[in-house]
Amino acid sequence: MEQVLQNLIIALRASGVRISVSESMDAMYAARLVGYENRQTLKDSLSATLAKSHREKEIFEASFNRFFSLDGFSDPETDSYRAPALEPNEEDAPLTQMLLSGDNTGLSMSMREAAQRADISGIRFFTQKNLYIQRTLQGMGLEGLDRDIRRLSKEDGASSRQKGSALKEARDLLFENVRNFVEQQFSLFAGSATREIIEKYLRNIRLSNLEQQDYHQMRAIIQRMVKRLNDLHSRRRKTSKRGWLDLKKTLRENVAYQGILFDPRWKAKKIDRPDIVALCDVSRSVEAVARFMLLFLYSLNEALARIRSFIFCSNLVEVSHVFEEYQVEEALVRLQRGFGLGIKFGGTDYGQVFQDFKKTWLDLLSNKTTVLILGDARNNYGNPQTDILGLIRERSRRLIWLNPEPPAFWGTGDSEMRRYLPSCYFVKECSTVNHLERVVDLLLRTQA
Amino acid sequence: MKHHRDQHFASIEDIQHGFEEAGYICSQQIATTLFLAYHLGKPILVEGPAGVGKTELAKTAATYLRIPLIRLQCYEGLDESKALYEWKYGKQLLYTQILKDKLNEFLEGAESLDASISRLHQYDDIFFSLHFLEPRPLLSALQREGGTVLLVDEVDKSDQEFEAFLLEILSDFQVSVPEIGTIRAISKPFVLLTSNNTREMSEALKRRCLHLFIPFPEPKLEREIIRVRVPDLSENLRGQLVSFIQQVRKLDLKKPPSISETIDWARVLVLLHASSLNPDLVRDTLNTFLKFEEDIEIVQEHLYDIAGKALREA
Repeated sequence: MEQVLQNLIIALRASGVRISVSESMDAMYAARLVGYENRQTLKDSLSATLAKSHREKEIFEASFNRFFSLDGFSDPETDSYRAPALEPNEEDAPLTQMLLSGDNTGLSMSMREAAQRADISGIRFFTQKNLYIQRTLQGMGLEGLDRDIRRLSKEDGASSRQKGSALKEARDLLFENVRNFVEQQFSLFAGSATREIIEKYLRNIRLSNLEQQDYHQMRAIIQRMVKRLNDLHSRRRKTSKRGWLDLKKTLRENVAYQGILFDPRWKAKKIDRPDIVALCDVSRSVEAVARFMLLFLYSLNEALARIRSFIFCSNLVEVSHVFEEYQVEEALVRLQRGFGLGIKFGGTDYGQVFQDFKKTWLDLLSNKTTVLILGDARNNYGNPQTDILGLIRERSRRLIWLNPEPPAFWGTGDSEMRRYLPSCYFVKECSTVNHLERVVDLLLRTQA
Repeated sequence: MKHHRDQHFASIEDIQHGFEEAGYICSQQIATTLFLAYHLGKPILVEGPAGVGKTELAKTAATYLRIPLIRLQCYEGLDESKALYEWKYGKQLLYTQILKDKLNEFLEGAESLDASISRLHQYDDIFFSLHFLEPRPLLSALQREGGTVLLVDEVDKSDQEFEAFLLEILSDFQVSVPEIGTIRAISKPFVLLTSNNTREMSEALKRRCLHLFIPFPEPKLEREIIRVRVPDLSENLRGQLVSFIQQVRKLDLKKPPSISETIDWARVLVLLHASSLNPDLVRDTLNTFLKFEEDIEIVQEHLYDIAGKALREA
């Protein structure tokens, strides 16, 4: 039974539940304690020891039910296997005997064992299904069955012929059952492998090439990324520099103890929470990417307390409130259409945008602020106002520009990227989720 | 100390029964987890929406086992000096003042500095000993003879550092004090941690705990809970009330009503001598279980449907 439990754990891990060795040992002890008789109790116990979040509980629920659905060997149409009611012969192969006598349990056991020997828990890709079906069939002794069928077809007599055709039918049924079983195992063990591949693909594809259908998954990826980055960076952390005595502070603190130094104080290094001002281009030239940029900003907005978001096209408007008030879908539509925001969708005018920023929001900047600009710097040959960008750079801690175009296109046509370059702390191409993540990691790592 | 409590945890049914007598209806899942936690000697991390009885579970466990409950409420900035131990600075200071004179006497006759130092060495670290240690909730839970139920409430509100030093207590039931050494538990406390999921707990912490998720209860369970907690409510009205609340939870609300709010509402209905849920009565008392203006508006829109259905179902 412990082997079965091990397999369940493998299946759970494959579906994305993280289970450590100590947890699987706990599960083992728990199962020994409550016994295997009561299914519900066993399930509750394993759930308490193995699945440690709401999401994992859901996965566990599904996997457990699938794993322990001990459906016997049966005809998929009638849901039961009726033996052909023929006497097996001494010389028949074991598989033939089982099929003829209708030994459901034996067949089911033999199928599981054969699959186990074929190392079914190693299945990862749907292309491997046929291989595993073959291996399992062979493991059950298909050769013997085939030999019997051939032998019977050569023999004369009505009974042999009847037996032969019954065996052929049973053989089809056997194939059906093994295929179903392998399918089921595939969904148990390979669920996450396929998901991981898709996810990896999505992370590296250019944002502008993404399809609408991938959008949901993308949101999940971005959210996870923001959460991870946030966990890493957003908390105010005190890394105390042990060894450096803060003399002034120690004297102050210990006045209460008649100047006896009971409570030495050490110099501490504070890491600040990131403070971000984000400007996002939503003009037509970056339309495909803008959606994801906004999605990203939205997620960032949920995670970070101190972020002010702006969008621009011909002019600049603040949209922090939109992110707070609406659900993500509605917020994105509102931003891209500009409902009631006063944004003008003419040609992109970076010069005007910078002037707007200087006029109204320049006070937002301090020596702690990071300014983040998302856009392609295509200014329709207008005045680029590089000096204002320089001013923004001076007033803030850092200015980061994320450009969806690859560096080779910077400065071509109406792109002003090359002129903006000197004012930026750094400029990065940002066209895949992976780019985005790397950049944001840098962005949040605010040193003292 | 363990064996005379074994009878309380002899079987899952016993736990369910015992908790019911103490006024807490626990589902099979909860009872199983308690059973495992006791026999495996592991803490339980209880998660679930606010007001489903996470804290209550710990309180009832203490009542059931007849041992004291030590509660540690977590918040941002909680550190070991407030949760674990602190040195009694005042006492240390006082003692040094008093012993100053004693010290002269004691060192009399010592000829050189070396001699006096070596004499002092005979008495090592008097000031950093157990006498000067002020135990905070976690340490006192370990030191209490006869065991305790230790409730670390809303552990998700605490900082990551705090979580890190909880690990030692949760896995080994011991505390390391740098100046003294390791203090082991006299008797293992029964530990429950609750979390509202404002942030994900670390893998390390989860690994050391059994995990229990308490969802909103099924109608049957909720009726049972109301029966035990508000016995004065008529059976008919109880059915209507639970059906109503269950439907309200399905609406898209900012804060769906929890069990504690259902109980509040049941008490209100008893006070008002209500005999059945008529829409007017519901409208006047909505604010006992809905805590946001928007939520009240949403429910009012569907009020007649829900109340009608509740009356039919009960």
